[in-house]
Amino acid sequence: MLAVDDVTLDIAAGEFFSLLGPSGCGKTTSLRMIAGFELPDSGRVHVGGRDITDVAVHKRDMGMVFQSYALFPHRTVAENVAFGLRMREVPRADIERRVKAALAQVALTGLEERKPGQLSGGQQQRVALARALVVEPPVLLCDEPLGALDRKLRQQMQFELKELQKRLGVTLVFVTHDQEEALAMSDRIAVMNKGRVEQVGAPTEIYERPRTRFVADFIGEINILEEQGTARALRPEKIRFVATAGARIAGTVETANFLGGSTLYRVRAADGRTLLARETHAGERSPRAPGDAVGLAWHDHDTVALEG
Amino acid sequence: MSAPANRRPFDAGRAAYLALNGTLLAFLLVPIVVVLIFALNPTPYISFPPVGVSLRWFEKFFASADFMNALWLSLWVAACVLVLSITIGGACALALARGNLPGRAFLTAFFMSPLMLPAILTGLALFQSYLLAGIGRPTWGLILAHTLVAVPYVLRTTLAVLHNFDRRIEEAAAVLGASPARVFFEITLPLIRPGVFAGGVFAFIVSFDQFPVSLFLVVPKGETLPVVLFNYMKFDLDGAIAAASMVSILLALSVVLVLERLIGLKAYVKL
Amino acid sequence: MISRRTTLKAGAGLAAAATLGAPAVLHAQTRVLKITTWGGKWGEVMKGTVLPAFEKEFKCTVQADQAFPFVPKLQASPKNDPIYDVLHTNSNEQWNSLSEGLVMAKITAKEVPNVADVYPWAASDKIVGVAIFTSAIGLGFRTDKGLAKPTSWKDLAAPALAGLRGGYIIPVNSLGQCHLMMLGKVYGKGLTDLDAAYKALEALKPIKLVDFTGQMEKMLLSGEVSMGVIHDSGVFRYDGQNQPVDFAAPSEGVLALEQVLNVTPGSKVKDLAFGYIDYMLRPDVQKMLAEAVWYSPANKKVKLDAKYDARLLTTEAKVATLIQPDWKWYNARKEDIDARVTRILKG
Repeated sequence: MLAVDDVTLDIAAGEFFSLLGPSGCGKTTSLRMIAGFELPDSGRVHVGGRDITDVAVHKRDMGMVFQSYALFPHRTVAENVAFGLRMREVPRADIERRVKAALAQVALTGLEERKPGQLSGGQQQRVALARALVVEPPVLLCDEPLGALDRKLRQQMQFELKELQKRLGVTLVFVTHDQEEALAMSDRIAVMNKGRVEQVGAPTEIYERPRTRFVADFIGEINILEEQGTARALRPEKIRFVATAGARIAGTVETANFLGGSTLYRVRAADGRTLLARETHAGERSPRAPGDAVGLAWHDHDTVALEG
Repeated sequence: MSAPANRRPFDAGRAAYLALNGTLLAFLLVPIVVVLIFALNPTPYISFPPVGVSLRWFEKFFASADFMNALWLSLWVAACVLVLSITIGGACALALARGNLPGRAFLTAFFMSPLMLPAILTGLALFQSYLLAGIGRPTWGLILAHTLVAVPYVLRTTLAVLHNFDRRIEEAAAVLGASPARVFFEITLPLIRPGVFAGGVFAFIVSFDQFPVSLFLVVPKGETLPVVLFNYMKFDLDGAIAAASMVSILLALSVVLVLERLIGLKAYVKL
Repeated sequence: MISRRTTLKAGAGLAAAATLGAPAVLHAQTRVLKITTWGGKWGEVMKGTVLPAFEKEFKCTVQADQAFPFVPKLQASPKNDPIYDVLHTNSNEQWNSLSEGLVMAKITAKEVPNVADVYPWAASDKIVGVAIFTSAIGLGFRTDKGLAKPTSWKDLAAPALAGLRGGYIIPVNSLGQCHLMMLGKVYGKGLTDLDAAYKALEALKPIKLVDFTGQMEKMLLSGEVSMGVIHDSGVFRYDGQNQPVDFAAPSEGVLALEQVLNVTPGSKVKDLAFGYIDYMLRPDVQKMLAEAVWYSPANKKVKLDAKYDARLLTTEAKVATLIQPDWKWYNARKEDIDARVTRILKG
């Protein structure tokens, strides 16, 4: 069985690069190949022009943050963070100073002597980050690092991580199955499916110009229109509500999901198809209700042709 | 004025649970109490109610060269067994859990097998092997025999810890620059230590209380405490036996407590 | 560095030579006699006095095993290099050992001169090897319960003693086995009348049963039983301790509980083994041990102090009351008997 098949990624220095896909798509395996835990059957891994395919994990000089954090439960916070520096035989005084700085960076000053078991999930996550970053690795690998946090904390950490990455200029490879997270944080995203890379591009590009049906479907809401044997993708927000007379499609509202500043409608067309349409509005209520007759229209240039 | 406390309604299940636990506890503790009464009773037989309290049996126990030699031998053997069995059992457990060995299930069963065999047969078989090999019955032979039956305990507790071990912790250490050897000594070993030492406590007690395996393997003037007690009973059934039992129980208990203090068996239970 | 390592090496070589040399020297001078012996008071006298004196006189080292089980250990060791040179057990175990070729059939005055001086029971056809002491199995009883001193084995069956009489778990205790045979003699045609014995045993219920004699002593001392089957030495040992217990020799006779010594055919130090048995039969050694543990000596020439002489079997007349069971006969039927008595005593 192949976990990853013919994946070619070119990640620029200082880039925030996400591997996005459903579970089992090969994103974690790809990351573990970069880290050195898995050996590719063929193909090479290069960092900064150096071939590290045959270099042992502990000599690759990378940072990694795990979803389970993988903190050393028998060591204090300070000892956890100091670990990588000790392995690099950094002088003792320097270790102390750098650990202190790293913990300040993730706002954990004062918790040095705690054991990981005495920290909250968010705090553990910061320790994991500080532990990885304190050695100033050129590459930081993150395997769903925010996956175990609740929504509020996750959003906050997204901002912090992004900001930290820019400030330090570290190349960050980020594995996630959360498309919102990938869109929000990444410079570029590789969308993976069944061990292959479907598309690589900037978040806007991935969102606006999905190349395949899978990418279109995986990122946000989408309508797929079958026209003369080709499939075209149309984002719900590109659809306008018009009078039924001049509409491309006339139908009735089936459901209306109020989302705050906008409402997502499911509209059933006369020919039986259903379409998703998003309408932004200033009011506190959705302007339309289930059962309303509506007409839908869009520009051809807002649709994207899909492969496969 | 505070609000009236809410009364927990009578819970038959909970009452039954407490009763069952109380019964089990009594079942475990009553024999020890009986032994204690016998040990403190001045008459050479158990009498209820006790006719008085005296330490004469403890004095007899501690004053007897036979008992003291046996006690020291038992402690020495048990200490050696502790060290050997945690080394061997820990290494075996690591090999079985991590080694990707062919026939792992068979090997596990093989290492566990001393527990399946009646210990008296293990003792007899080793006795014959030693005599056939012409090595007689040296103390190290006795230690090896005890180790044989103690290793499965260490193996079992260590395997349990390894089974729940999050290997990402080791990976995290490797990424941070730790060589495989450093990962083992700095991460793996400290984390499986509670399991290894919990097994070690068992190993110590299994050896210290070992009778059937020792029966054939002890030599004249080199008898372990359980063997001496057994033979003593045949000729002098008095409170010295009970005093010796109390000393054994207290020694075993203190070993557990000391190890708990030193190593903190509870420290990483959550692991 | 180099010079230090060389010195260390040389030192190690010296030490090795020293340790290698020592055992060889020891081996040449000292022979080792491996025996079994009892623990308790007997063991104290043996280890404290008898064995050191023997070692000195015979210039040997005695390794005395006090840890049961002796016969299985002997069985498991090679016949041509047995783990014991001298086996000390009660009589019935010697018969078992003989059938497996573990011990010699007879020890005579030819090998052990002092055998010439023993009472006939000690070298009778009921003995494998040679007996050095005997106890008398009779009835122990409480003197504070208003009981008349028993005169017959039948007194144990008195209805008043229901639940207050003590016996043994017959399959594991030779006193129990002796008692069963005695029941055949007292209630039937003789020691081998098992049917009569079974019937009599049934009539003794309810009866308190124990594994070994030490427990019977404790039951008598604590008053848990008022009368029980026991050997004289098990009661006499409390002499002078103000315990309300006494021993009675029933008129039908007492059973012999012999202490038997024998030599293993594969022993490498047979002369020393015979010498040891001869030593154990010496009048002075016999007297010391007899008075220490209240055993009746086998040697006719032993003169015990009055206190012991009065109660132990030290004359031809007293010795005549001893009945020696036929263990060969009993052991051949042991399995059937065990099954039968277990059924009887379980109900």
